[in-house]
Amino acid sequence: MASVNDKKVPKWNAASEYRPMPGVPDELMSENGAIRPVWSQFLSYFSSLAPADLAGRFARGDEYLRDAGVYFRQYDQKNAIDRSWPLSHVPVILHESEWADIASALTQRADLLEHVAADIYGPNNLVAEGKLPASIIAGNPEWLRPMVGVRPASGHFLHFLAFDLGRGPNGQWWVLEDRVQAPSGAGFALENRVATARVFSDYYSEAHVHRLAGFFRRFRESLNLMRGGDENGIAILSPGPMTDTYYEHAYIARYLGMGLLEGEDLSVENDRVMVRSVSGNRPISVLWRRLDSTFADPLEFDGASRLGTPGLAGAVRHGNISMVNALGAGALEAKALFAFLPRISEAVMGQPLGMPNVATWWCGSEMERRHVAANSERMVICPAVPPLRLAGRPARPEFGMGEAGRELILTPENGRHFVGQEAVTLSTTPSWEDGRLLPRPLSLRVYLARTADGWVAMPGGFARIGHSRDPKAIAMQQGGAVADVWVVSDRKVSTETMLAPPAGPYVRPRQGALPSRAADNLFWLGRYVERAESTMRLMRAYFARLAEAGELESPLLSYVREHIDARDIEANEAIPTSLRAMFSSAIGSAAKIRDRFSVDGWMALNDLADSANRMTLTATVGDDSARAMSVLLRKITGFSGLVHENMYRFVGWRFLTLGRSLERALAITSLLTSMTDDEAPDGALDFAVEVGDSTLSHRRRYTVRTTRPTVIDLMALDSMNPRSILYQLNEIKTQVDLLPDAGVPGHMSELARAALRTQTNIAVQTPEAFDIEALNQTYDEIAALSELITKAYLK
Amino acid sequence: MLYEVLLRTRCTYDRMAAGRQALRVMPADEAGIQRLVAGAIDIDPAPHERIDRIDFFGNRTVDVCFNTPNETVDVTVRARVDRFGYPPAMDVSARLEDLPVELAAMRNLGSTSPHHFVDTSPLVGPSPAIAEYVRDVMPKAATTMEIVGAINAALHRDLRYDGDATTVDTPLEEAFAKRRGVCQDFTHIMIACLREIGIPAGYVSGFLRTEPPKGKPRLEGADAMHAWVQAWCGANAGWIEFDPTNAMMAGLDHIVAARGRDYFDVAPVRGVLRTAGSQDISQSVDVIPLA
Repeated sequence: MASVNDKKVPKWNAASEYRPMPGVPDELMSENGAIRPVWSQFLSYFSSLAPADLAGRFARGDEYLRDAGVYFRQYDQKNAIDRSWPLSHVPVILHESEWADIASALTQRADLLEHVAADIYGPNNLVAEGKLPASIIAGNPEWLRPMVGVRPASGHFLHFLAFDLGRGPNGQWWVLEDRVQAPSGAGFALENRVATARVFSDYYSEAHVHRLAGFFRRFRESLNLMRGGDENGIAILSPGPMTDTYYEHAYIARYLGMGLLEGEDLSVENDRVMVRSVSGNRPISVLWRRLDSTFADPLEFDGASRLGTPGLAGAVRHGNISMVNALGAGALEAKALFAFLPRISEAVMGQPLGMPNVATWWCGSEMERRHVAANSERMVICPAVPPLRLAGRPARPEFGMGEAGRELILTPENGRHFVGQEAVTLSTTPSWEDGRLLPRPLSLRVYLARTADGWVAMPGGFARIGHSRDPKAIAMQQGGAVADVWVVSDRKVSTETMLAPPAGPYVRPRQGALPSRAADNLFWLGRYVERAESTMRLMRAYFARLAEAGELESPLLSYVREHIDARDIEANEAIPTSLRAMFSSAIGSAAKIRDRFSVDGWMALNDLADSANRMTLTATVGDDSARAMSVLLRKITGFSGLVHENMYRFVGWRFLTLGRSLERALAITSLLTSMTDDEAPDGALDFAVEVGDSTLSHRRRYTVRTTRPTVIDLMALDSMNPRSILYQLNEIKTQVDLLPDAGVPGHMSELARAALRTQTNIAVQTPEAFDIEALNQTYDEIAALSELITKAYLK
Repeated sequence: MLYEVLLRTRCTYDRMAAGRQALRVMPADEAGIQRLVAGAIDIDPAPHERIDRIDFFGNRTVDVCFNTPNETVDVTVRARVDRFGYPPAMDVSARLEDLPVELAAMRNLGSTSPHHFVDTSPLVGPSPAIAEYVRDVMPKAATTMEIVGAINAALHRDLRYDGDATTVDTPLEEAFAKRRGVCQDFTHIMIACLREIGIPAGYVSGFLRTEPPKGKPRLEGADAMHAWVQAWCGANAGWIEFDPTNAMMAGLDHIVAARGRDYFDVAPVRGVLRTAGSQDISQSVDVIPLA
């Protein structure tokens, strides 16, 4: 530990002015102001860093998060805004022995929740024996009647859980929330870790911090086991890009090498769940569900949901798909359960809760209701069960509630809808604000995954930190921050990675099928990017001529402007609105396939759009805008380079390439149709050659000036020129032939036939015969290819 | 009373539609209430998948899937049913103020447990207008059964049966504001009234005898599938069924098809179809007494 053992006496002590709040336990400092042993090494390291150095380090962590595209979505009254990830750079540090206690108490709680789930979806003994009031199950909208009596295919209801914990005044940890529906944030924990390790890169590797990767590896192994014997897929089921944690879904999918699906990617056939893919419908066996249960099947749950898959619940009933967690598991998030879990634990597990949950009283019973009323100043009143939410409608109130205020809540009629919970005080942990460490309230999120050997806890990774002393302001939506949690050992820790050591002989993994929706987005990404590029080439040539002409209007300029107008591009704007719309559309397509898309590619695309938006503010039409087009063209070439140099040649790449080739072939054809017309003014041919980036090639190949035959020869019929129609049609034909199921063996598919016909029609042309009519026909044939691709693969 | 039931349902789509549907059209077989002697559901065109099952509330449900689009789907139900459940002759229902205690003592979550019928359900939630109305029309100091009967009568008096005022998707609040609707609206409004004052209430779908016995009027709602209300009147009385559309208790003329919290649970044809167009369902019902 070089920086610590250098024995440089710290110039300052980072904690010298740190004062915990009276009566509130603090992670860093004990009541008498002593630094807790588990922090002391980190603190002396931290104090050895100059404050100026710290700023640079924190910036490095933030830069990593920005470059990785980590953001979270904040909602105000109307809009969703993507904000940078609010990392509190100082980690929370816990000793592994304390962590082991936490993990063992939560393992017990996870088993208890599994027991309750199996009971309320099974024999209902807890209700029959009076251990749970019937009304908090029957009145719980997450208790899904269609799933009652259904044993999960995997044998378990719960596989992946999260718990929010807070440390109470006596130093003990309490469970604040059980997250059972579709716990989020595990991917963010990984990003917290990478960023924080970067901030303290010279310290982290020697600090005996337990690594997170092993947890994910084991969880993935257990998902593999859940498939049983079959070879079918495993995927993450997401609500899609509109949800606030979509980034994390894409991140986890990439990290674990699993597919990321949405409800519309799935269909149900004979009670089997199938993925609609470009290779036809393929069965899938395990879904890690990040979509709330009630949205998962519009046929049986919320009929207005557009996110789900009709028939999914039926497939679960038939035991043909394993869900992580089971449909209906969200019922266990009811606050009212907190009031009964302590007694249920004693009764069914024969032991008290290893870690208490926040003391909770269900106001459906008279004694409890009175207790809450009598102590209401130190209680938080919350709904006993989650509200009934239906897609596109506000949460429905309950009967008898009207505009109930707190006094109406605690009546015999309404009490059952509410619980009183003891108001929580949280411990504090140091956070760096305004150049010093300040105590800020903290809650831990601990993840548990079920493996073949039982539950395992992710060792650290995620804590939420309040931005003021107010412990209620801890939610990220209210400006709270997030910190890494370091579980440290006294000894060296194993640095296992995500990649498991090979067990047994090497088996080449089967490639997963590409969902049709992902293929569709890749195809359109290719088209939009290429459309933007050809638009920029066209506009650059036009702006340059406009600048040369000065005030003079030439026949060529007005002819070109007609061509531009016909493409719905705004010739009078330096950075045309329609061009910026193409960037947005490209980003829109890329956003839906983040899991298949490199972070660098994503950043390059966003950089392009940002630059164009910035230029819009200052650029003027003419020489200035011509230069702006050149800058943007260089940037887009960077993006294309990334795609074509780095992207694995899987079937998705073929759709991207097809989109790009189709778009380019269409752009050249339409350019040639305008510029090689007999009516076209002088200079039109040179203009076409310039837009087609073929000026040099033309000069080298034909020692004459441009004529219609030379231009057609080079830009339509030359199979060596990447900016010719024939070149692109060759490319299209090659890719079409490599697509899955291109035809019945021995027979060509409709698409393959059309691709061959279109390509052949051009290949056998001569420059003289390739007139405007032939160009128009070519355009229609290429456009028809796009339709055929969509029909065959993308629907 | 033995009946021959014939239901013909035709779904017509403006644009061809494919997809999944759940059908709940077969008369029920319920101990002490009615017996399904025989019954068959015929679907034309034949679906690509068909699964017959019993849902949570005990309803006979047929899941069907069409892989290729259709312009129309015809569902025909032929059944022979013996209906023998009479309305209760004596009022053994609880007093309304005792209902919460009797309810809390019901420690089960089986399909007939009243606990399912207390809270907000997908199509029936609280409405201030209904809360005010029900407090106006309910008698004070009465048994639960008397109160339900009074509300049943009041709704029949205050609502006009009007097949053009509402559609299958009209929220009950809107139908109540218009004071018009069909049996589905009457039933939803009455369920909201009962739950508002703490009486568990559910939706019953079924069939009415088409032609009345000699000397009796023809009942409203006999031309299509009908709907009425079941109200839980305490541990002794249990479930009692009222038909607000006809201001009567359900009896030998009411043949049960399905039970649930509201229409969401019992819709005869509930579907998720891939179509941009709208759909139209027409029904014809014949319920002929055999003996």
